[in-house]
Amino acid sequence: MDAVLIIQSLISGIMMGMVYALLGVGFSLTWGVMHVINISHGAFGLLGAYMAYSLLQYFGVDPIVSAAVSVPLLFLVACGIYQLLIRPITRAQNVVMASMILTFGLAIILENVMAIIWKADPRVLTPTYSSGALILGPFYFQYPHVVGFGLSLAGITAIYLFLKKTYTGMAVRAAWQQPEAARLYGVNLYWISMITFALAVSTAGAGGICLALLNSFEPHSHNLWLINLFLVVIVGGVGNVIGTALAGLIIGVITGLSMAFLPFLWVNLVTFGLLMIFLIFRPHGIFKQEGI
Amino acid sequence: MMKVKRTNGFLWPVIVAIICSFTLMVPVPGFGAGKTIVIGGSLPLTGAYAETGQWIEKGMLFWAAEINAKGGLLGRNVEFKIYDDQSDVSKAVTFAEKVITVDKVDLLFGGYPGTAARAVMPVAEKHKFVYVSMGGHMKSFEQGYTYSFGAPPLMGEWWYEGFFHWLATVPADKRPQRAAVYTINNPVGLSLTDSIERWTKKLNIQIVINEKYNAPLTDATAMIVKAKQSKCDILFANGFFPDGVTTMKAAKALDYNPKIIVQGVGSVVPAWVKELGKDGDYVFSGTSLSGQLKYPGNDKLNAYTKKTYNLNEYPLYFGFGYAWMQTLEQAVKGAKNLDQTKIRDWLKTNEVNTIAGPMTFDKRGLPEPINFGTQIINGKVELISPKRVQTKEPVYPKPAWKK
Amino acid sequence: MINKLYPAAMAILAVLLAAFPCIGPEVYYLSFLFSIFMYVILASSWNFIGGYAGYISFGHAAFFGIGAFATAKMATMLELPPLLTMLAAIPAGGIAALVALIVGYPCLKIRGPYFSVVTLCFAFVVDLAVKNIEFLGGAEGLWIKFMDIPEKTSRTIMYELMFLLMVITLAASWFLGRSRFGAGLTAIRSDEEVAETMAIPTAKLKIQAFVLSAFFPGVAGGLFAYYLGYIHTDAVFNINISILIVLMAMFGGGGTWLGPIIGAVILTVVNEGLSTFAQAEIARIIYGALFIVVTIFMPNGIIDFFRKKDGMT
Repeated sequence: MDAVLIIQSLISGIMMGMVYALLGVGFSLTWGVMHVINISHGAFGLLGAYMAYSLLQYFGVDPIVSAAVSVPLLFLVACGIYQLLIRPITRAQNVVMASMILTFGLAIILENVMAIIWKADPRVLTPTYSSGALILGPFYFQYPHVVGFGLSLAGITAIYLFLKKTYTGMAVRAAWQQPEAARLYGVNLYWISMITFALAVSTAGAGGICLALLNSFEPHSHNLWLINLFLVVIVGGVGNVIGTALAGLIIGVITGLSMAFLPFLWVNLVTFGLLMIFLIFRPHGIFKQEGI
Repeated sequence: MMKVKRTNGFLWPVIVAIICSFTLMVPVPGFGAGKTIVIGGSLPLTGAYAETGQWIEKGMLFWAAEINAKGGLLGRNVEFKIYDDQSDVSKAVTFAEKVITVDKVDLLFGGYPGTAARAVMPVAEKHKFVYVSMGGHMKSFEQGYTYSFGAPPLMGEWWYEGFFHWLATVPADKRPQRAAVYTINNPVGLSLTDSIERWTKKLNIQIVINEKYNAPLTDATAMIVKAKQSKCDILFANGFFPDGVTTMKAAKALDYNPKIIVQGVGSVVPAWVKELGKDGDYVFSGTSLSGQLKYPGNDKLNAYTKKTYNLNEYPLYFGFGYAWMQTLEQAVKGAKNLDQTKIRDWLKTNEVNTIAGPMTFDKRGLPEPINFGTQIINGKVELISPKRVQTKEPVYPKPAWKK
Repeated sequence: MINKLYPAAMAILAVLLAAFPCIGPEVYYLSFLFSIFMYVILASSWNFIGGYAGYISFGHAAFFGIGAFATAKMATMLELPPLLTMLAAIPAGGIAALVALIVGYPCLKIRGPYFSVVTLCFAFVVDLAVKNIEFLGGAEGLWIKFMDIPEKTSRTIMYELMFLLMVITLAASWFLGRSRFGAGLTAIRSDEEVAETMAIPTAKLKIQAFVLSAFFPGVAGGLFAYYLGYIHTDAVFNINISILIVLMAMFGGGGTWLGPIIGAVILTVVNEGLSTFAQAEIARIIYGALFIVVTIFMPNGIIDFFRKKDGMT
């Protein structure tokens, strides 16, 4: 086998995997902290992508710059959605299930609202650097991949530092690991949940922008995204930020290697098959859940 | 606690639901009654195929507005009963049965995508309803159905005919020698490979890479690296829009410059030119319809889509929706009534004239192979083959990517 | 009083539904009820493992699809006459059950959301395997010959067969809910460790429930293949079907007999009704809103809501 092909394939696989990790990290957090499985997570990512698309089309704002507008905007939207929809179901017997049904509905609504606003036509996010590449010797680093990778790395690091270093972040971790004790120490679980949810949705938006740099998207694309982020989250361990990032890398490596070694027809099958086997032997992901 | 609770007394929600479901069975008033001719069926207006489904719908509605303005069909106004099958094949089948048996429509219109058409064709056959659609490629027309017509069809097997006819005119020493063929693993992709196999043999082009992939294609880097390393000078990307875009972006980023890039059914949708811009240029493909054909009607459609959607040329599927209706319209006029079998028999023996040109149908319900080779030049889909319809000389070999 | 009336009412409803084709309804009504029965079967059999035992499977469409493709393959390979083809749905269900046995053995050791994702992966693996391997079906899909009898007769036969299958599934579900087997499964859902200490053979019960919950969808898939006449992997292995099955069961109320039935009936009817009366995207938005409204007001499922309201606990 040819070394250039293997390395080239690995590079792009890893960069891709990292983007899925950014998309997945918020999903992982809401699941871990609030027991809310947010099926509409991918749809919010798509919303971020569409906002970036419009800002680029009509105002010529680069997606990286416009993220500074759209991501906080999504944060606010998410606070509202938490108040209106998520909070009422936290008293259900089975929050996981109830949240899945509710957010499934939300995903359908978002998808069709996007279809009305932006139409069903497929879109491609094409900033000036969209099809350029950084050439290092025999290797090509596609700029969208590099930008997506960089943004994802930054996003995940930011979330990690937030959880580790800030008071609010530590409260989020406490709320998740020892909810009762956290309450006794005066942590307001309601606030924590809202912040977690909003943070998750805004990382979804950022992840959506990164993913839109790589592939074209349509209102129904979130279904495809959801599957990938589900896998990243499970492999990494629910609620585990570093785990999610590593899972992105692992999935990237698996995809990259199988793209290089196998007929393309078998790539997806092998990826899912290996993940299945991985889960059977290592059902709780790479790390224990408490790792963060 | 663990004892299973009895659920008595909750029968009524079921009963209510069943009663509700019966209300669905009441045909919507106004249809089937009076003088209007109702044409029914389903299209994927939401879900994965929404984009195409909506264009077909627009094309059909444009036809209806036009014919109603001219005094209708057989002197009666036409009206559509369009259900949204949510891109779900089994819903397409149920809705086909619904329009035939409950709404009692007078005519059936063709659906999308090919898999839905494949499943609806037997329904039309069993109910003896003429079904004019794109069909589901060659295999679907070989099932012995007599009421289905591809008029014009979207036939994967024919899709590259025009392109290859042009390629055959290129002197042998200037033709590409080594081909990389990447095909999406679904009915469209598989039927596209048909003409590649035939023609590469004829033109002495060696197929160096011949691989299939499953959708979604998230990354084409490895594909392009392989093709580049194998020194393939012609690339066949037999796929849809999303995978086509991913492939093109990777080809540009990795500076892969084959003499020819051929793309399947993704490059013919308006989004290709609109979204990819310069990067979508010089891609070859095929079509069975085009706004640049000289057949009557094309100018009118172009003018309408220019005015309404600001497009230089009507989108392929807008044209399809319109052309299928044209065929049906002429068949009804020819048969002089709405008897399905008479309409079918008329179609089997007479010629129809659509925006895709004149057509007569064989036993399978297919016309002679219709195909026009296309190339995207300066953000416009140009016809390159056959000579009689050529709008522009093809650009060959493809210029290197501009960085 | 109600306790006595209930089975009687059910029996009357069953007889009415069975006799429905006698009044000569249009084919569409038969097809529509056919699809309702199908979803009731799918949701109710999913409920064996997902509702009672609490093992949320996200790959149940895989068994449905296996049944469909196994039937179609048998029909085309052995060139069975159409009526026998439908009977081929039964061994096809057996194949689905066998696959469930093989897959269930390692997968059922995994708990909670991880089980869900393994089954999700499993569904993709099966889908891709069928697409990639010509022998299993291939990406072109399969055509099944249709019967040389009037359309109404053939649709009536399909209707009655699917109805019969539904009755059998629901009977199984009913007895399961009232048996030690069902009680064991419920114990697993409440707390698997405790159940083990109570000498409940959890591993055995889970695998039995899983196999049973794969068999009925397999048979239903076989009938569905025949109903469509042409099957393609996208039509039967669709991830949306898997999700829909789960939502139907949980929407009505998981772990109850009636819950999945109510969920399947309501969602199918509403979806069809909206497609009929509302503009496409608006219809989908209303459909989505239904999930939200029901969850907010009935977070534990519809059954639970009415049970509380009637003061029955």
